This record gives sequence, C-alpha cells and structure tokens, in this order.
Amino acid sequence: MFFGLPNLNSRNPRLQLLKNVVLFKDLSMRDLVMVDSLMHARSYIADEVIFDEGEEGQGLFLVLSGRVKIALPATAADFLLELGPGAFFGEVALLDQSLRTAQARAIEDSQIVVLFRAEFYSLLETHSAIASRISFQLARVLAARLRQSVINASRQHHAG
Amino acid sequence: MNRALASGPIVWLGIIVATCLLLVLFQTVLWLVMPVLLAVVAYYVMSPLVAAAMAHGITRPRAVLIVTVFLTIILVAVGFSIAPRISALAHDLPRKITDYGQVAYTLSENAQKTLYTSFPFLHHQATDTKPDSDAHNLGFIGSEVVAAPSTKTAPSDDLQNQVAAWQAKYSGDIALELAHWIPSLLLVPYITYFFLLDGPRFKRFLVQAIPNAFFEKTLYLFYRVEDQVRRYFQGLLALTSLDAFCLGIGLWFLGLNAPFLLAVIAAVMAWLPYLGSIGGGLLVVLVAAHDFPQSHWLPYGVIGLFIGVRLLDDFVFMPLTVGRSLHMHPLVTVLMILLGGAVAGVAGLLLVMPVLGVVMVAGQIIGELLTDERILARYRHARRLKLERAQADLFTE
Repeated sequence: MFFGLPNLNSRNPRLQLLKNVVLFKDLSMRDLVMVDSLMHARSYIADEVIFDEGEEGQGLFLVLSGRVKIALPATAADFLLELGPGAFFGEVALLDQSLRTAQARAIEDSQIVVLFRAEFYSLLETHSAIASRISFQLARVLAARLRQSVINASRQHHAG
Repeated sequence: MNRALASGPIVWLGIIVATCLLLVLFQTVLWLVMPVLLAVVAYYVMSPLVAAAMAHGITRPRAVLIVTVFLTIILVAVGFSIAPRISALAHDLPRKITDYGQVAYTLSENAQKTLYTSFPFLHHQATDTKPDSDAHNLGFIGSEVVAAPSTKTAPSDDLQNQVAAWQAKYSGDIALELAHWIPSLLLVPYITYFFLLDGPRFKRFLVQAIPNAFFEKTLYLFYRVEDQVRRYFQGLLALTSLDAFCLGIGLWFLGLNAPFLLAVIAAVMAWLPYLGSIGGGLLVVLVAAHDFPQSHWLPYGVIGLFIGVRLLDDFVFMPLTVGRSLHMHPLVTVLMILLGGAVAGVAGLLLVMPVLGVVMVAGQIIGELLTDERILARYRHARRLKLERAQADLFTE
C-alpha cells in the first residue's frame, strides 16, 4: 500500500495477465482496472466452438488460460493458428460489424475474456485516453499483419 | 426495410401477444412499474452527466454520488421554492375547481352561441332532436337570434355544491391513493441511484448465465434493447423540450401568465398519447379563459396554437425524435397505441410504445437465435462435451 492506494498488481492475477497483452501494454494498472471492469469472462471446454466463420462479430476475445485454434471449417483439423495465454483474436469486430473470417475453437479448457464493441465505444466516450491507446496498439497489430501478408504474397509471386 | 418487419408474421404475432401480456401484467403492478419507468427516464437523463464526470477521471461510484447529490440539491431547492405555492394551491383547490368549472361552462355556452349564430341550421337540428333543450334558455326563436338574456340560473352554486359533495365523497379515497403512491414514487431516486451505480455490473451478471453458443448474439440483444430504450426516452425528452419551447413561446406571444410553466405541464401531459395532448390543451384553454374573461378570442388562439404545435409534432418533431428512435411504421404505432389502450387502459396507452420497442428487438433476436440451427447445434455439442466429461469414469467395463 502507498498513500492508501491498493496494490492492484498483487490483488488481481487477471490484471497481471492483461498487462502482458500487447493491446494493453501502454495502460497503467489503474487504466487496466477500468478496462477489466468492461470485460466478460467466459469458460470454454476443450473442443467447444467459440465462434464460427460467417457469424456477425461483436467483440474481441482474449485468452487468459488454455489454448485456442483458429481454422477454416473445411480445414478444421489443419488449423491456421494456435493461440495461448495473452493472445487475442476476433479484434476486427472492435472496429466494425463484419462477419468472422474463420472459426475459433478451444483446444483445451480455456478461460477467455471478451471486450464487446459497444462497451469499447462507450470507453471511447468516457475514457478516450485509454481507448485511444488501445486503438493505437490495435492499429499497429493490424498494420504488422497487413505488412506480413504483403510480404508473403510477394514471396509467393516471386516463387511462382 | 425495418428488420423487425422483415422478421415474418409469426414473430410479429409473438411480439404483439407478448406486448399485450406485458401490458396486462404491468397494469396489475403499476405501483412498481411507474417508479421503475420514471427511474429509467431519470437514468437516461443522468447517465450523460455521469459519463462526463467519468471522462474527467472520476470513478463511477464517485461520479454517480456527485451527480445524484447535485441533482437532489437542485430538486430540494426547487421543491422548497414552489412548496408555498403548491400549499396555497391545494388549500384553494375546491374554489379553483369551481372557478374553472364555471369558466368551462361559460366557454362551452359561448362556443355554442357562436356556432348557432354562424351556422343557424345546426340550431334547427339541435331543437328538432331535443325540443326541450337549453336552446330556449339561450333566447333562440326559430332561426332568429334574439339578444334576450339567458333565463337559465347561474351554475356556480350548483357547481360549488357538486364540488363540495365530490370532495366529501372522494377525499378519503384520494388520501388513500396518495398514501399508496407516495412511497412507491419515493423509490424513484433510490432505483435511479442503483441503476447508475450497478447497471453495467448487473448486465454482466445476467450475461454470465447465458450459454456460450448464444453469448455473442445475446450480448448484442442487450445492447440493442438498451439502445432502443435509451433512444426512446431521450427522444421523448427531446420531444417534450421542443413542445414545451414552442408552446411556451406561443403562449408568451398570446400574453398568458406563466406561459412556460403551462407549456411544460402540457408537454409532459402529452406523454399520454392522444388523451394527454387533449387534456393539456383543455387545461391551458381553461386557464386562458379564466385569467382573461374579457378576451373572447384568446381561448381560440390557444386552441389554434395547440393544433399548430400538434401538427409540427406529428410531421416534424416526432419523426426527428421518438419516431426515429423506434424505427416503427406510423400505422403500426397508431394500431399498437389503440391496442394498448384497449388492453390496459390509460397505463396501456402510456406504456405501449416503450414496451413494444423492447419486445420488438427482443423478439427479433430471440427469433433469430431459435431459428439458427448452427447455434442450436453448437449449444447441443457443448452440452454433450460437458456431459461426457461428467460421465467419464462413471461406467466401468
């Protein structure tokens, strides 16, 4: 305790996990408490579908524990991506109401938190500084993915 | 195309039936529904203030406390400032009722005279169907209008007696009704405070109970319902402000006393569809006729003003505020208001639009959930996985 303020680090292990997520790396513990209060906690059993390809996305999912695979249903066995604690997916749903482009499924029992788009928008109104830091990190992540896609496409083109 | 209209006739039938059932239920627990409804209105008035306070770095509990205390102080100050006038008004109420009754009687008599003078054939019809009517007393002979003084006795004594009898008969009932409603209305600030403080937490608590397969769509349903209710009440408040402003300006221009107070009362009364507008208009007409008995044109000016504002309301303000918030076809709106009145009386008229708005969104999303085979299959799949795990070591070879 310092000047009567609670030591937020030691009180909530979930906050420590959130602190390690790239989207929230610019946030202070106090900001994280605010973001955490907006999140919905969900538990998924191994092999349970989290969302399907073609569904209307409503929010960003963040893995607290367990593992999740991202796959196209036709190639469900041969998945695109495996995500562990600290990773997030479905982030485009924070920006618009577009359809999910792949299926997410729990590989093992997983604890996941969800940031709903409407609540993120309300955060933009009430705590614009926090929301803009998250938005900036989200833009950096999306830009990195776009750059990687361009590089991959270019490599394939040259190889072909 | 409205998404709810695209939901199909079965969903719509379900929406109408659910709305009617809810109205009947709400009518039976009106003492609870009214404070909750007023608390919802107060919540949507106060939530932008709470959000503004939170935007300055104040935590939600403190922001809610500051806004609640601030508004309570304002309300108490307003209450203290108008309490003597209300007390005087209550003390003077029987005499005022008699006065306004007298004014109403004179006004209707004058209107009848003017009508018969301008359109003599109406008088013929009235005397043909009702030979012993008051027309004789008004000094009419055939189609000739004779300026003879009325032989009918002044109604003020009758009215005073009637008011006294009415007071003796119903004052106990009114006191009982007030004793019934005052505690329930005192709940309004209490409910509002907890809506503001714990609303988001309560929503998350409810969402926790939703199975994973339905989670995202249900979350969206909560958002849509809240958005619908918020837009309806904020639209209603905007509509009330616009009505009050236009009526206030008009009444001030006509030279009435306390024009903006009368305008606010009439605009709030208009929350009750149809009846409220008529009641508010009549109230202001009576006040105009009572305060300015020499000015015969003033009540007609007030009626003209109300008709003008009503037209502005229907064609300009309503589509911009409440109509836009509910995205409802005008025919559906009118039919549902009539149905609400038929099913649950005055309470039905008042509650039908917000209830329909919420049921419409809920019906549409629940319809989508229950007809989405993939979501139902995912739900069954998750249940089977949990069941298999629960049964894992129950059976041995």
